[in-house]
Amino acid sequence: MTISTEPLKSVSDIERTTLMTLLPGRIAALFGGRRWRSLAPLAVLIALCVLITIANPNFIELRNLVRVANSAAVPLTLAMGLTFIILMGSIDLSVEGTLSVAAMVVVLLAANDSNGNDYGWLAVLAAIAAGTAMGLVSGLVQTVLRIPSFMATLGMWFIGLGLSVYMLGGSAIRLNDASIRELALTRLLGLPLAVWVAAGAFLVAAIIQYYTRLGRHILAIGGDEDVAKLSGVNVARVRVTAFALAGFFFGIAGVLAAAQLGQSHAVIGDGRLFAAVTAVVVGGTALTGGEGGVVNTLIGVLIVTVLANGMILLGISPYIQQTVQGLMIIAAVALSLDRMRLKIVK
Amino acid sequence: MNEAFSIKRIFEGKWTQGAIPLVLLVTLLLIIEIAAPGFLTGETVALLFANTAVLFILATGVTFAILLGGIDLSIQAVASLASVILAQLLPSLGLAAFPVAILSGLAFGALSGIVHVKLRVPSFVATLATGGVVTGIALWVSDGRAITIEEGGRENTAWINATIAGLPVVVLISAVIGIAAFLALRYTRFGRQAIAVGAGEPAAWAAGINVDRTKIIAFAASGMLAAVAGVVLAARLSSGSPVLANQLLLPAIAAVIVGGTAITGGLGGVARTAVGALIISIVRIGMTFVGVNIFLENMVFGAVLIAAVAITIDRSKMAVIK
Repeated sequence: MTISTEPLKSVSDIERTTLMTLLPGRIAALFGGRRWRSLAPLAVLIALCVLITIANPNFIELRNLVRVANSAAVPLTLAMGLTFIILMGSIDLSVEGTLSVAAMVVVLLAANDSNGNDYGWLAVLAAIAAGTAMGLVSGLVQTVLRIPSFMATLGMWFIGLGLSVYMLGGSAIRLNDASIRELALTRLLGLPLAVWVAAGAFLVAAIIQYYTRLGRHILAIGGDEDVAKLSGVNVARVRVTAFALAGFFFGIAGVLAAAQLGQSHAVIGDGRLFAAVTAVVVGGTALTGGEGGVVNTLIGVLIVTVLANGMILLGISPYIQQTVQGLMIIAAVALSLDRMRLKIVK
Repeated sequence: MNEAFSIKRIFEGKWTQGAIPLVLLVTLLLIIEIAAPGFLTGETVALLFANTAVLFILATGVTFAILLGGIDLSIQAVASLASVILAQLLPSLGLAAFPVAILSGLAFGALSGIVHVKLRVPSFVATLATGGVVTGIALWVSDGRAITIEEGGRENTAWINATIAGLPVVVLISAVIGIAAFLALRYTRFGRQAIAVGAGEPAAWAAGINVDRTKIIAFAASGMLAAVAGVVLAARLSSGSPVLANQLLLPAIAAVIVGGTAITGGLGGVARTAVGALIISIVRIGMTFVGVNIFLENMVFGAVLIAAVAITIDRSKMAVIK
């Protein structure tokens, strides 16, 4: 039996636009129209930097800024991948699982203190390939089995985590390959190589989003999947490609994380999903898809990292960080007007 | 092709979705009984139930959220926070620490619900965010360490580890919670309305159901039961820690889905979750028994989750699968 729900929805639309739901919208409207709203994250970032500098001038020191850039490297690379998924209106919860698989692969294949492998940079390629493969499987599970991405990737999260912990035998394994460790240790123009890799990831992501058909199609699907389909976009293929692309970025991030820590262990991914989602959402990419992009995410990552750094400088317990990030997610999503398009929020 | 179609149709029939998990459970029990005769004695079954109790309580809570078509990703954080609160407060408050810990879960569950409903944030993001908030608080309160429940506090947790008439108290607790949740879903206005909202939100709204209130109550219930699970876990392990329940999120959600509750909402219930939790528990025991590496458990559960979602999901309800 099919009941047309259209009239019901429109009635509920009117009813639901009550004060409570409109309030965040009104606040956002105070800042002006759409154009101004897109600048809000940048304003937040600048305000944050100014406030922290006033509270503790050490923030602005070059040494500290390099530290901020260094700790932004892995989140930025992760968030680049996640941005494409969220732009489609989907979500990828497998960030931590994929990252730990990539870190596990690079550590086990390069020189390490557990087995005799020493494949050098081939290990890095293998790790990125493993990340891409994880993303590919996520995408295939979602499109072939036709299940929502948050469930597909929730499963993949734990599959990845289980696989990496199993392969590591539950212990921490050191990465002894000097050339890979250089990613974290060698500096170019004052910044660690990892930062340059992350910057490269950002460039690649920006090119994909703004200058390729894939990028346009991802935006189109996020804007309205039905319209995209009717316009001849091969939705399933774009989805699978986007998830594989996200896995590619998570793979790079896994290599960077392993290089920075000099090892891989069971909890190498802990908290990374959270930071990445916060960065993407705070940057202004709408969870409903179709709005935002990698430039937004760059600002979002900087907001999250600067805030974390600032909290340490101000002597606030680092344990509160997740609490603050959680509140930031809620605030950012609540302030984005686009949710008003949603008829049902599940 | 034809055959595949009919198999698909069988899987999509509603009664089979309720029956398959039960058949699976009985089959698993029979396999174990054949492999290790004597498994199905009172003692081992009581032990099985006792080991399933925490998982079942958590899964019962998240059943409410899933029945509404939502999801609660904050249960492990809430359970861990409750364990920390219990361990912190037992020395000073004694038995009064239990209600404080459980009410904290209720409060954070309600907070998730309010954020989800009033700010119109999708539930998986709303609960991901509140989960982060709660984890941060738990880390802060405990200073990032596990807190052992000392001798003095253990007097007040001993009753949870006791047995009454041969049955462990944890089993009784989970049975009471299970029955209460079952009755609440089946015979109270809230329960009927929750199922109606899950089955079709616009229709439920048009029928005059207060959708927002129903959702907030469901998420509050989920948070409260998560806290109960955390408290029981802390009492059993004599320790509270901000990461105590982290490994339980996936098995809990898997238990609900494997039991036959569809993530699209409106179909399923606590009885199915009980079957699902037992299946998860037996699979876990079975894996240890067969010699599957303990680190591979997460992999198996991840795959089981994906398979179960694929079978139980009601695709006619989703115009676009995001």
